[in-house]
Amino acid sequence: MPYYRGICNFCGTGCGHLLRVEGNRVRGVYPLSGHPLSRGRLCVRGWHIHELLQTEDRINQPLIKDQGCFRQVSLETAIDFVARKIKNISGREVAFLGSPRASNEENYLLGKFARSVIKTNNLSLSSDAGQEESARVLLEGCGWPAMTGSLAELRQADFILVVGGDLTKQNPIIASEIHYAHRAGAFLATISPRKTQMARLSQVHLRPRPGTIFYLLQGLARVLADDRKIDLDYLSRFTANSQSFIDGLKLVEIDKVVEITGIEKEQIVRLAGQLAESDSAYAFYPTGVQSLDSRTMAALFNLFLLAGKIGRRGSGLNPVTGVSNLLGSYDLGVSPVFLPGYAAVTDEQAWEKLENFWRVRLDRWPGRNVDACLSDQEAIKALFIVDHDEEIIRHVNRINQLDLVVYFGAYHNSFASLADVIFPRTSYVEGDGTYTNSERRVQLAQKKIDPPAGVRPLWEILTALARALGHNWNYHSAEDIMSEISQLVPYYSGLTYEKLTTRLGLKWPCDDLHPEGTDCLLAEDAGRRFQFIPAGWPGQSLAYDQEIQKDFPFKLVVGRSNYFWHQNSVMKRTFIPKREYNALLLLYPRGFVEISEEDARRLGLREKQLVRVVAESAEVRLAVRISRDILSGMLYIPYFIDEMIPEFLHRQVVDLEKNEEFFLPVRLEKVG
Amino acid sequence: MYWLTSEQLELLIKKLGEEYKIFGPRHDRVSGEVIFDHLTDLSELDLQAAIPYNPPRFILFPHLEEILKYRYEPETKQARIEQLNLLEPKALIGLRSCDLTGLLCLDRFFLGQEFVDEFYLAHRKKLFIISNTCLRPFPQCFCVCTDSGPAAKEGFDLDLTLAGRGYLVEAGSKKGQALIDEFKLPEAGPEASVLKKKIIDDSVSSFDRWALENKAWISRATNRLTTGFIKPEVWEYIGNQCFECGACSFVCPTCSCFNIEEANQESGETNRLRTWDSCSFEGYTKMAGDNNPRKPVEDRRNKRFFCKLSYSQSKKYLRPGCVGCGRCARVCPGDIGLPNVVTYIRREITGEAGE
Amino acid sequence: MDKNLVPITSVPEIATIVDIRDEINEVKSFYFTFDRPEIEQAFKIRSGQFIMCTVFKAGEFAVSLPFSPENDPKHLSVRRVGKVTAGLHQLEPGDKIGVRGPFGNGFPFEEIKGKNIIYVAGGIGLIPLRSSIVHVLQHRQDFGRVILVYGAKSSKELMYKESVKEWQATENFETHFTIDRSEPGWSGEVGFVNQLTAKLDLPVEETVAFVCGPPVMFNAVIKELKLKGIKEQNIYSTLERHMKCGIGKCQHCAIGRTLVCVDGPVYTYRQIRTLGEQI
Repeated sequence: MPYYRGICNFCGTGCGHLLRVEGNRVRGVYPLSGHPLSRGRLCVRGWHIHELLQTEDRINQPLIKDQGCFRQVSLETAIDFVARKIKNISGREVAFLGSPRASNEENYLLGKFARSVIKTNNLSLSSDAGQEESARVLLEGCGWPAMTGSLAELRQADFILVVGGDLTKQNPIIASEIHYAHRAGAFLATISPRKTQMARLSQVHLRPRPGTIFYLLQGLARVLADDRKIDLDYLSRFTANSQSFIDGLKLVEIDKVVEITGIEKEQIVRLAGQLAESDSAYAFYPTGVQSLDSRTMAALFNLFLLAGKIGRRGSGLNPVTGVSNLLGSYDLGVSPVFLPGYAAVTDEQAWEKLENFWRVRLDRWPGRNVDACLSDQEAIKALFIVDHDEEIIRHVNRINQLDLVVYFGAYHNSFASLADVIFPRTSYVEGDGTYTNSERRVQLAQKKIDPPAGVRPLWEILTALARALGHNWNYHSAEDIMSEISQLVPYYSGLTYEKLTTRLGLKWPCDDLHPEGTDCLLAEDAGRRFQFIPAGWPGQSLAYDQEIQKDFPFKLVVGRSNYFWHQNSVMKRTFIPKREYNALLLLYPRGFVEISEEDARRLGLREKQLVRVVAESAEVRLAVRISRDILSGMLYIPYFIDEMIPEFLHRQVVDLEKNEEFFLPVRLEKVG
Repeated sequence: MYWLTSEQLELLIKKLGEEYKIFGPRHDRVSGEVIFDHLTDLSELDLQAAIPYNPPRFILFPHLEEILKYRYEPETKQARIEQLNLLEPKALIGLRSCDLTGLLCLDRFFLGQEFVDEFYLAHRKKLFIISNTCLRPFPQCFCVCTDSGPAAKEGFDLDLTLAGRGYLVEAGSKKGQALIDEFKLPEAGPEASVLKKKIIDDSVSSFDRWALENKAWISRATNRLTTGFIKPEVWEYIGNQCFECGACSFVCPTCSCFNIEEANQESGETNRLRTWDSCSFEGYTKMAGDNNPRKPVEDRRNKRFFCKLSYSQSKKYLRPGCVGCGRCARVCPGDIGLPNVVTYIRREITGEAGE
Repeated sequence: MDKNLVPITSVPEIATIVDIRDEINEVKSFYFTFDRPEIEQAFKIRSGQFIMCTVFKAGEFAVSLPFSPENDPKHLSVRRVGKVTAGLHQLEPGDKIGVRGPFGNGFPFEEIKGKNIIYVAGGIGLIPLRSSIVHVLQHRQDFGRVILVYGAKSSKELMYKESVKEWQATENFETHFTIDRSEPGWSGEVGFVNQLTAKLDLPVEETVAFVCGPPVMFNAVIKELKLKGIKEQNIYSTLERHMKCGIGKCQHCAIGRTLVCVDGPVYTYRQIRTLGEQI
């Protein structure tokens, strides 16, 4: 039986697949037709996941850096080394960087290790600002930090709104579900400055100027309220502050919205009408890198709440996670602001509960994320990292100054070489673990092949480290850890490996009331009223700075594409996706910047002509790629750092990583 | 024709298992997917299962395989190339006629052109094939439109048709006949041919009206594709829906495109790997340097359907490249499997409105 | 098929690089001999064919053969363009390569006996034509007028300087050279190859032309030749495509209904025009 059932580990869709195993090697992949979400489909990345596993860059032995060179040591020696070093460093001077690709069990244990053994709250993922914002907005608004609708019912939808980045590239199979729903009759609208493939598939594509989606959403809410196309019964039964929200909308002037966004009034009115008339409506937006900003997310939440589409069967607000276990990592508290189960770090009762459960005193001192820790020259002395995270490589100098850098990973890469100690860990096909996809589906991926000798699962290494530091941890399997999680995290309380082995995942909340999980989050189950989130109307301050516009007339937006996904750290270990990425670069060997046909004509720019893209503090030379996909006044660069625009993005990257609503004012200069 | 009981069939497969690695359809218990797989446990074989989600192509043409191994030491200038032994006797049990037809297409392509593909040949050399008549079509099947089912006509060693409690068996080769003789199977009388024909006729008539209706349209679409009289807008419409995942090629029983890559090992050896590829990828035709003769996605899409349906391409298979299994329609994120493409071409011909 | 021409299809034969010569910027010629004497003996080619060359640990690439089928040392002339060719450029004499082939149809030789031949090449487009030129000169008496029109960006960019010197001194071989811009010490023509082609007094009847070079040059030269009255079916060229197998299986080099590796790489312009893809 060489085909083994599993879960794709690339994006937050969590498609079902079969891996073909021969002689302890993964030699092929095939989609799983019975999977409730992916239904027998995979994207280009998923179809090549086995290529990723052919790499010989495996780390097979624990390594300790000795005068700049790594030497192989035993696991005991490496653990002893870390235990001795860490004893001289106070907990608050240590930061942990988790991996959104690691399993729930591994992420939970990493958090427990950080908080209860090292006693630090500097615990985060990276490039996930959008996910944190999304969880915060949704928690405040409705109490659930993730997708409220059900993808299983999507094909019966009447209305689908996709806001922001290109889902066909980030989560192709979720985008495919949207496409199928559209073909089954749903009205599909996309709001995005760029003409994405999703936009091409839509009936309506509204292209607000970069950075103005918020205003457009507010305008839609205003139209909805004005036209009285709202369900007052729903609002009075399920929401707490609808009247003050509706009153606040009076500040939103439609003419102003038209002026700011560049979208015609009729289009706004028509789209609001479509939403109001629909019975079953969904909104989608990406989280993680390329997400919306929190203000825009709040406006979208408010719009859907006003339309009565939150907490209702057949409707919902659906944030989509870009990386496989991004949601699960948050569920289990790999965050400076959330404890496991989304308890706020400001909640004293939650701390006490955690102390009782873990039977250890905890430090409540507020933690920070890894970027904040590394940007501060003094903050930390030690860093623990799980798996590749090349994106924080811009802090290389600071990392080199640290007293201790511990890396847990399966593969060698430029980041691992910064470490003082490297612990080889199993890849995701070499051990058991659960992963939580965008739709809250917790799925068990079982071990398919044996790891190389000397390579242990992360939980086993962490357990050994905790024991060396005097904590009597006693885990013998990933399953042991899941049974502990189910006692602590209410959403996961009904989950067991026994259940997950015989099902294609269960969607949290999975508890006594919902032993088979929860498909769609319902208002009746919320246990509270929904809240409109004050998003305000910044009024005058929104006017695009005339001065800036004079010097930097273009708005540069950075986006992602299939193959450049996750900054290439994963894709570069494959053959065909890597080739595809190179194919585009071969057409534009110096990298490219997309410009609209109109602007190119106006500036007299030819295809592939070299230009300088000049921002306030940096510039880069790129070839022109004339595109029908973007608006006049806008430029677009795909998101991959190493190969395309290193210096430029290194200087500007902090802002660009925030979200796709962010743009950089730039100007174009011809070269030569 | 002969009669074979289920018990005898079990023994027969067990017997084959002594010489061959056994492949056949099994169920994944949790998802329900039917997988054509290497069966380590023969009790998992389910001949009544629906058409497997994966075609058996991977057995002869794996998703990823080492075709060469070499070691080169630049210091001593020593090069050693090792040819791998890919020959392994395999028995494919319960092949559906569409998949058998696909396999014969691959045979003609890999073995019957100017050159023989040695790696395919090694997998193909010792193969025992037992085909299985489809008593009823499965959703999305349209083999009646592509002349590749529901019953096998050639290429098998043994062909099974379930008739009541037993199987009608036909031998298609000496190997197959030898096995029939060894098991001393009782000959079925002249009425068996009538019975088999009735079973097949019943199966054909239970095909969807859709599939039968499309019969004419596949040949008309073929005609249009061959002559090139399809408007660019049709390809553009199809191209817009393409997610560029390559799945249509990977699930097609007749797609044969591949890629070759060198993978350097830590041990100092290099493996030359051959992997599935798809003409829908942008990098597929890319050359070193700055030149790609084939660019827009609709152009690439067009190539694939041209390859599947046009007359000139059919020459290499001696039949159309599509065997009517419907898998491309099931895996396509953009809903542009071959049947839908035929529909779009039909709309263009008749001037019907789309949705 | 000639028994001697049975190509090496699957497992590369190991060959040793015996000499490396710099040709022009980024282009080197690699002279090689097979390690197994029986292969060295049996390896026979036709002008216009190509091989698949393995650069160990880097990969395999398709490359046209510049040497004559007879009495001409075996070599490859390769421009550094990608990962694999960069790997080849790092090799030294004594290093090994792997060879599969020869593959492809090659230029017609028997059919054009008795005719006038015009070779038109731009830049490294001379590489695939060299084999045919040398072969025809080896059988000079079998042909009518033989003419070479060759151009490059500058004198530095002219390939095969040694061969070119010999050719210039060869009787009965009309050679014309041009570079894009004038240079001190340059005595040849100045301008593009197509302009030079237009100026020359070329035979038309009983004449075949072989054209090779970058797309822009190629199209411009074809235009001139057609203006002079040379028929499309008498103009030959050789196509380059991305290839993985060389034996018609991988389909990377498919253009419409033809496979460059087995049906080509040599096509008449009449065939090329109907392929429906850019050059």
